[in-house]
Amino acid sequence: MSINRRSFMVSSLALTGATVLGAPAVLGQAKPRVVVIGGGAGGTTAAKYIAKDSQGAIAVTLVEENDSYQTCFHSNLYIGGFKPYEAIVHKYDALAKNHGITLAHTRATAIDRDKKEVVLASGQRLPYDRLVVSPGIDLKYDSVPGWSKEAEEAMPHGWKPGKQTRLIKEKLDKVPNGGVIVMVAPPNPYRCPPGPYERASMFAHVLKATGRKDARIIILDPKDKFSKQGVFQPDWEKRYGTMIEWIGPGVNDGIKSVDPATNTVVTGFETYKNCAFVNVIPAQMAGAIAQQAGLAPAGGFCAIDAASMKSTVDPNIFVLGDASIAGAMPKSAFSANSQAKVAAMVIRGELTGARTFPARYTNTCWSLVDTDDAIKVGGRYEPKDGKIAEVEGFISKPGETDEVRKATQEENMSWYAGIIADMFS
Amino acid sequence: MRKQLATIMRTSSRAALAGAALAALTAASSAKAGGDRALGEYLSAECTTCHQVSGRQDGRIPSIVGWPEDQFVAVIESYRDKHRDNPIMQTIAGRLTNEEVAALASYFGSLKPVR
Repeated sequence: MSINRRSFMVSSLALTGATVLGAPAVLGQAKPRVVVIGGGAGGTTAAKYIAKDSQGAIAVTLVEENDSYQTCFHSNLYIGGFKPYEAIVHKYDALAKNHGITLAHTRATAIDRDKKEVVLASGQRLPYDRLVVSPGIDLKYDSVPGWSKEAEEAMPHGWKPGKQTRLIKEKLDKVPNGGVIVMVAPPNPYRCPPGPYERASMFAHVLKATGRKDARIIILDPKDKFSKQGVFQPDWEKRYGTMIEWIGPGVNDGIKSVDPATNTVVTGFETYKNCAFVNVIPAQMAGAIAQQAGLAPAGGFCAIDAASMKSTVDPNIFVLGDASIAGAMPKSAFSANSQAKVAAMVIRGELTGARTFPARYTNTCWSLVDTDDAIKVGGRYEPKDGKIAEVEGFISKPGETDEVRKATQEENMSWYAGIIADMFS
Repeated sequence: MRKQLATIMRTSSRAALAGAALAALTAASSAKAGGDRALGEYLSAECTTCHQVSGRQDGRIPSIVGWPEDQFVAVIESYRDKHRDNPIMQTIAGRLTNEEVAALASYFGSLKPVR
């Protein structure tokens, strides 16, 4: 655990009451304090925008265990050989340097909502006036019979960045020609709706590019349909022939069990033995701390107010990104970034009296299918009848020209540079 | 900046049409320059997930920093009117009021690219 020098200074300021702001919510207090839990797309964006736009009037602490962020978004491009791993790793340092954010590289173990304090692994407590909770997802290790935390190396999920992502690539690289990869796809709701299908595309791309044209990828899905299905499937056929086979619940009749020791997957329809590798992407839930704090029901996600991203159970807490129930918005980095900006605006309004505006949200999800062939889906969202509703959307069309698909991939790569700059600089 | 703006003009798949339309739009623009900068700063958060506020351009997505306000307004309106064909920009622009477009033009126009 490390709290840097700035943290100490903030504490000292709070004790001496050196600065008094005319803030409506915290009148008479030294400086309003915002603590952000989670350094992903939601948390970093919220921390940055609160600190940047308040110009030092709000003390912001970002609690994140890791000293670098490995993006889930574009991790499939690493798997597909389109990016080196280093290209999806980013440091937090500029947030402290450029915006005065205190970085606490430790784990938040609990939220004391009565005292408005975050408890750190060291036992230290961080008081807050407003708390942003952006912990991402946790995996439901008991959602696939036979699979477990202990089995995640034998049958990796690759749905949290880091070692698991690398493991997926290592196993992909060892698949023999003629080998069968089975992907167990997750039920809704889950992080990155098109992600499993982009990943299957990347598997096929790598196998084809390395001469393993007789390998197969079988996706066993508990869902009747999936994101961008109407575009993915014709593209798979065009690019990869019969290499990728998607089998929905009407045919697979459910995943009955997996056996990590023998790489076997049993469905109600068929048993797949001696798979070259099995990628289990399990059911998901809000990050543990959100559940422990009572912001989400056990095994579930966090209800929020659509106009502010404020938790419906605690007006001092905002929940962002994958951990939240954000209506029509998918669980994506773009969504989390957009939600964070609304929360940051509301928080500044409450703590410093800054001007506020009606909430509006945007999202776009790009997926790479093959070299110079990307597709996208997205939309614009606003609060409506208590939920975040889509007001306008778009999706790539099957049969678009090569020129359009290439431009979409160029946009995808350019967006990545944009959101990273937005989060980390 | 002018070079980047020129590039955007050129890369439109309907550049000729857009070019003609732009002249008319600029002349009869309903979203006047000189908008509400604070509103523009808030709305800009919708843009900066893709367009870098520093003015840096990495790849296809252009810098939108430091443009003359009337030209910024004209480009947004050409997406709003679907003379330009990027669906993301059409969706973003389609929901902006004239006041909001002017506000964004004012905000981004006031920024200088970081060198």
